[in-house]
Amino acid sequence: MSLLLVVILSILSTLLYIFIGILPGTDETATMAPIALTLLLAGMDPMLVLVWFIASIAAFKMADSIPVALAGIPGGVMAVPQVPDALIAKEHGLADVILRKGIAASVVGQVVAIVVSLALSYYIMPVGDWLRATDVVLGVKVARWFWLVLVGVVVLALTSRNRFIALISIPAVALVFQGLRAVYGKSVYISFFLGITIGPMMFELLSMLHRELRNSYVRKGLKEVKLLKVEKISLNPLKILTKEELTHSTIWSAVTSVLATVMSPVGLTTLIGDLLRESKKDRVRGAVLAYTVRDAIKNATYIGGTLIPLLVIGAPTGPMAAGPAAPFFGKYDHLGMTARDFIVTHYDYLTIVVMIFISTAIAFLVAYPILVKYSRALTLAVFRRVPAEALYGLFIAIVLMLSYYDAKIAGIFGTIIVSLVSGALWRLGVSLGVLFMVLVSAPTLVPLLMALPI
Amino acid sequence: MGDDEYYELYGEYVSLKELGIATLISSVIAMIFFSLAPSIANLIGTQATGLSITLGAVGAAIGFAISTLIIKVKRVVSEV
Repeated sequence: MSLLLVVILSILSTLLYIFIGILPGTDETATMAPIALTLLLAGMDPMLVLVWFIASIAAFKMADSIPVALAGIPGGVMAVPQVPDALIAKEHGLADVILRKGIAASVVGQVVAIVVSLALSYYIMPVGDWLRATDVVLGVKVARWFWLVLVGVVVLALTSRNRFIALISIPAVALVFQGLRAVYGKSVYISFFLGITIGPMMFELLSMLHRELRNSYVRKGLKEVKLLKVEKISLNPLKILTKEELTHSTIWSAVTSVLATVMSPVGLTTLIGDLLRESKKDRVRGAVLAYTVRDAIKNATYIGGTLIPLLVIGAPTGPMAAGPAAPFFGKYDHLGMTARDFIVTHYDYLTIVVMIFISTAIAFLVAYPILVKYSRALTLAVFRRVPAEALYGLFIAIVLMLSYYDAKIAGIFGTIIVSLVSGALWRLGVSLGVLFMVLVSAPTLVPLLMALPI
Repeated sequence: MGDDEYYELYGEYVSLKELGIATLISSVIAMIFFSLAPSIANLIGTQATGLSITLGAVGAAIGFAISTLIIKVKRVVSEV
């Protein structure tokens, strides 16, 4: 594997995901997973795909808060919790302050999470063998990591806005997935999780076709976006964060990178940020601190949520691994194993560590100066030139193609029903993370359900 | 539907007709590229599976580029 290829891939990934990051409404799973899957299916070395993926996390999670700071519009789902903080900061003319603090905190979050996840993974590696072992429960072969996923999905359901529906949807949605898989005659994954991802959008879209529901979506005229001016920003990241912000960013990045093994990144970003905001008497200082630390947590949870399940467990145990990073846990015919297994059996730990550091370093060397210097110009260009319709059309086309690839025409209708069920449950207050986790646990959960003696 | 009446979807204003057009353009090009892949794979002697998805994604991206050119942006950006 050539170092030049590693460098080129990291740069390409960074440039692409800066653009995707700034684009409003780009969902992480829908934009990161299909590209990683395409690269894996195209026969690229899984290690190189991991290099690509790590650089994309760095760039995407740094760039998605740019439109939040400048216009109050999130560049991705993970940036949504930052919107209220940004609105308070903007009222007090601090848009450029949070812009640069967010960028610097992203670097802190990613680097801390890489160090913590890689060190922890190295020491708990033996636990992985234990977790991958299977026991027979009620006559069903159950891998031990399944219990981790089950606890995770129940906790996630209990923290959903509507915990009752979230809890009963666990076995119910599992039956939908396994039912469709039985009909297709194979264990499809990718089209189901893309179905979940576009669920909320499909549900809203179809609601617009309903004569009475349509009215609540109608808007007159064009959407007005106010873009704030920014002052010149220093290129030195250490000058940007205060000691308090740096301390909080470091501590919470370390903690949340580990928690993301089983917990939802967006949930952690919301929870920790809200706690920090409430801890400050001064509303503006609280908002700036929360915004900054949330930016660090976004990178940290994406890194931890990918690396720990990938290196140690070998199964997607959390919403990050089951969502954006899912392609690494899939089996590929040309490899004869999962992409994750290929990485850990063909490369020694040191090589993996070096690759991850190189891709992160390159991503930040490219993204940091671009975003510090041109964030406003880039945002302006994206807002003026990219129509939302083109972007949503692209998502839907990719989902359609992958559904057809999974199970031909039936696959397309399967994805439609998965997206409608997901969208309806989301509307009722079930976190999408619950559905991603159900997708992972369904192959074990349904046989257990059928084997229950009652 | 008047010219300036749109629907709010994911925080963005969209025209359903234009969303339909964009989806159609991206999907049709993606599926054409996707189905051409096996014959191209035969020609150059590689695996069809990977190529189908890759070409399909390229097709969808070309559709995106075309839609970007023909569809009007529904935002007015004011610099303050």
